[in-house]
Amino acid sequence: MSGFKTCGSSNLDTSLLGVESIAREEQSVPASPILKECVASSVQSTPEIEKKYVHRVYDAIAPHFSSTRFAKWPKVATFLNSLAPGSLILDAGCGNGKYLGLTPDSVFIGCDISAPLVGICADRGNEVVVADAVNLPYRSGYGDAAISIAVLHHLSTEIRRKKAIDELVRVVKRGGLVLITVWAVEQEDKTLLNKWTPLTDKYVDEWIGPGSPRTRSSSPFSLGSSSSFTLESIPEAEENGLKEKLNKFRDSSSAVKGSENGLVASEGQDHFMDFEAGEEGESHQEYFVPWHLPYHRAEVSGASVGAVASGLAKKDDKKGAIVYNRYYHVFSQGELERLVSGMKNAVVVDRFYDKSNWCIILRRTE
Amino acid sequence: MKLLTHNMLSSNIKGVTNGFPLGIEAEKVIERSVDMNPDFLKNMFSKIEWKPLVEASRIMGYSDLPEDVPDSSVLDSEEFLRKFHHALLEIHLEEGALVCPQTGRKFPVNKGIPNMLLHEDEV
Repeated sequence: MSGFKTCGSSNLDTSLLGVESIAREEQSVPASPILKECVASSVQSTPEIEKKYVHRVYDAIAPHFSSTRFAKWPKVATFLNSLAPGSLILDAGCGNGKYLGLTPDSVFIGCDISAPLVGICADRGNEVVVADAVNLPYRSGYGDAAISIAVLHHLSTEIRRKKAIDELVRVVKRGGLVLITVWAVEQEDKTLLNKWTPLTDKYVDEWIGPGSPRTRSSSPFSLGSSSSFTLESIPEAEENGLKEKLNKFRDSSSAVKGSENGLVASEGQDHFMDFEAGEEGESHQEYFVPWHLPYHRAEVSGASVGAVASGLAKKDDKKGAIVYNRYYHVFSQGELERLVSGMKNAVVVDRFYDKSNWCIILRRTE
Repeated sequence: MKLLTHNMLSSNIKGVTNGFPLGIEAEKVIERSVDMNPDFLKNMFSKIEWKPLVEASRIMGYSDLPEDVPDSSVLDSEEFLRKFHHALLEIHLEEGALVCPQTGRKFPVNKGIPNMLLHEDEV
C-alpha cells in the first residue's frame, strides 16, 4: 500500500535480527562512523542515562507521580473509543495505568519498565507485565491495537525510538492501529521550557554519545550543516509564529488525511522544512525535566534518602521538595513522521499536534 | 497473570528463536470472576494458540477445554464460550514463574505480575 521502508521486519522473532536490520538500515544513511559503534552496542541494552534519569526516577517517585496522573487525555479516549468492541489493546509504557480499562468493552494489557508503577496498576485490578517497550516479550500480531502515550521521549537514541515503534507495529494484527504521542519541542506553555535544563554538551557526549540523537536528527536529509535541520527555537515573543506553524501543520495534516499513497511523510517533511530552516537560534531537544517530590511524600519512599545521598536528587528547602531530574528527548515537528517514513509494514493514517504533544496513528499493513 | 497474557508472552532473550509458549511453574493460582464479553472472546478465538492455552489451563488446574483446536462454529455455543472465558480471563497465576522453552531461564511472577525484564547479558 505504501513505500515505507522496512526497519525490523514484521515477523521479527529474535532480538538479534532486529539489531541487524536496523544496522543495515543505518548504513544506507550518510552518517558518522561513530554511529556503527552505537549500533553495535545493541539497541536493546538500556543506556545509563535512561537507567539513571528515567527508570530510577520513576521507581522513586511512583506513588506521588501516580497520584498526579489521573486526567485522561481526550484524544486517547477518542482513539480507544473508535476501536471495535471486544478489542485487545496493548499499552506499552502504561505508567500508573490511567488508560487501562478506559473503554469497558475492550480488554487491556499494560506493561511498563517501572516495577513500582506496574504494581500500582495491578493493585487497581489491571492486567500488567514488567517489560521493556524497546523489546516487548510478546509474540507478533496478538493485539488489535496498541498505544504508547508519553513514552518515546524517554528513549535517548533515535534507533531505540525507532525500535520501540517497530515493536508497537509488530505486536498488533494486520490492520491494527497504533497511537503514539510524545512531548513536543513546541510547548504551548513556553514558561515550562524555562524550568527545564537543556542537557549540556557534556551530557550529550557522555551519556547519549555523538552518534545520537541531536547529530542524528539532521543526517537523513543531508542538508549539509546539521544546524539547518535541528529544530530551531521559536522566539518567545513570536506567539503568532507558533500559531502560524501549527496552522500550516493542520492544513498539511488535513490534506493528507485519508490518503495512504505512501507520499504522506515525505511531502509533509518538505513542507515543514520550508519554514523551519529560516529561523535563528538553536533550540534543544535533550532536557532534564524536574519532578518535585514534596518532603511529606518523600518520607514514604525510602528511595529518596538514597537518591539525595548519591546525588541523583537534590533537596530544595524553599519548595519543600526533593527534586529529581527526568531525561527527555522532546520531539520536533515532523520527527515522528520521519521515524516511520521507511516502515514497510505500516502506513500513517493520522497525525496531529494537541496540548504540546505530537501524535501519530499508524496502521499495520502486513 | 491471566492465561490471555500467557498466550501472548514470549521469551525474547538474545539468541532465542522460539520463545513461545513459556512454561508455567504454578505456586499459587487464584480465580477472579470477570463479566463475560462475547465480542472479545469471538475476536480472540482466531488469535489464540490453542494447545498452549489447553496446556496452561491444565497446569493451573482447569481441564475442561477441548483438547483439539475447535472449529469456529463452537463460538455459537454458550457452554464453550463460558469455558473459554474462564480459562482466558478468570484463572490467574498469582505466584510462580514463567520458563523460557529454549534456555530454561525463569521469569518470576509475584503478586500476579510477570517480570519479563532481561539481564544485561541477555539483550
